[in-house]
Amino acid sequence: MNAFKRDKKEEEEGSGNPFQNIEKTTVLQETRIFNDCPVDSRKCTHILTKILYLLNQGEQLGTTEATETFFAITKLFQSQDVILRRMMYLGIKELSTIAEDVIIVTSSLTKDMTGKEDLYRAAAIRALCSITDVSMLQAIERYMKQAIVDRNSGVSSAALVSSLHLTKIAGDVVKRWVNEAQEAVNSDSVMVQYHALGVLYHIRKSDRLAVNKLVAKLTRMSLKSPYAVCMLIRIAYKLLEEEDSSGGASSYSTLFDFIESCLRHKSEMVIYEAAHAIVNLRRTTSVELAPAVSVLQLFCSSPKPTLRFAAVRTLNKVAMSHPAAVTACNLDLENLITDSNRSIATLAITTLLKTGAESSVDR
Amino acid sequence: MEGLLLEPTLYTVKGMAILDNDGNRILAKYYDKNVFATAKEQKTFEKNLFNKTHRANAEIIMLDGLTCVYRSNVDLFFYVMGSSHENELILMSVLNCLYDAVSQILRKNVEKRVVFDNLDIVMLAMDEICDGGIIMEADSSAVVQRVALRTDDIPLGEQTVAQVLQSAKEQLKWSLLK
Repeated sequence: MNAFKRDKKEEEEGSGNPFQNIEKTTVLQETRIFNDCPVDSRKCTHILTKILYLLNQGEQLGTTEATETFFAITKLFQSQDVILRRMMYLGIKELSTIAEDVIIVTSSLTKDMTGKEDLYRAAAIRALCSITDVSMLQAIERYMKQAIVDRNSGVSSAALVSSLHLTKIAGDVVKRWVNEAQEAVNSDSVMVQYHALGVLYHIRKSDRLAVNKLVAKLTRMSLKSPYAVCMLIRIAYKLLEEEDSSGGASSYSTLFDFIESCLRHKSEMVIYEAAHAIVNLRRTTSVELAPAVSVLQLFCSSPKPTLRFAAVRTLNKVAMSHPAAVTACNLDLENLITDSNRSIATLAITTLLKTGAESSVDR
Repeated sequence: MEGLLLEPTLYTVKGMAILDNDGNRILAKYYDKNVFATAKEQKTFEKNLFNKTHRANAEIIMLDGLTCVYRSNVDLFFYVMGSSHENELILMSVLNCLYDAVSQILRKNVEKRVVFDNLDIVMLAMDEICDGGIIMEADSSAVVQRVALRTDDIPLGEQTVAQVLQSAKEQLKWSLLK
């Protein structure tokens, strides 16, 4: 309590930003104490925070500076302080692109990733994947596969997301992890399910048949995660568009029905994604459009500015292709002209210009 | 109407920022190398964004081809940026998570000064929310749990007897000292 009061006072005196006057060279000098044994974890955390703050402010480090700092950080592995360890991972990630020979921490990180402390494991995986290059990937592959199906959702998510990042440097590797990703889709965790779907789609996206199968399976099992459902709607939308252009219409109605059923989802995020997809489909008839437009119309009178913005932005687009469908919303749109958010007001006006009739000009 | 919907991908967030009440950066992260490649471009954008948003508390704005959702408190401004075709509600859920997580970390004192006192934890929280543009976690309590906050108020059920006694002693001490 006292400490808090003191802080308040200092603030009133206008001391402002305690990190304002730190100098790169001084901070880098301070990293010398990282070599001390035993490690003073509070002090080291503070110095590490300063380094990360500088980097975040856009300060550039040269290769030698970065490498020296990186090696200094590696000395801190002897400490068991949770926060310090986590800050080290952050530092490793930040410096991994600038410093040289970063792979020397591979074994330390692998140890943390397979260790007992859950708080370390997820973060260690992400740090490890940021320093890994193609040649090292083989060595950690086994652990990655295990991590993807780990019971701890944080660990599993971290592994899935990291493997997606890895596809940038090693496109093919992640394809071998498809079974694990498939298992993770069934996870109870909302985020794991979402990440797993993202990885699965990435692996399969060039094979249309496989994507079709994936979507058919997932639409039936009703995913728990609203994020995953949004993603699934996007995939379904893409399939519909492709099918349309290739002339086939085999699964058109099932896919469309799935998107339409999402209009009745309990999450607003999903409802909006579905409505957005329906109005953007090239082939939609005005009958198919109607439920999506009425959902958007409802959103127009929501107290949440973001929801109103999303709705009016989408209606604005529909007004270009199907002006008649939007006329029903004219009254709601007129109310938005005076909206306190200027983007919403502007979008409402331009939409009305496309749909408005003479009768509404007077109002 | 082609190309209006995004390619299905997990890469959703283009950037996250916490600015102070002068529009200066406290922390910011950009995840897409194609948007604002240099620190200078980023800061110009932030200034611009701040000028457009600090008075109007309107929650959402389109700027430089990005959809930005924002929220402010006393002397702090929180922003989440995404592509202009992105589902705004998804971005909003990330912003809410960022704000709520920071608020819990600072124990409801969402102020610049307190952010600087806990800068390390706030950095960790941002890292837990978004990894390279992918939403890692959108549940603020899960984020707070993962950043290993130096906490004295662990839920009662998870404390050991010794810890409970200790905190009871502390509370008694403080109430006597008042």
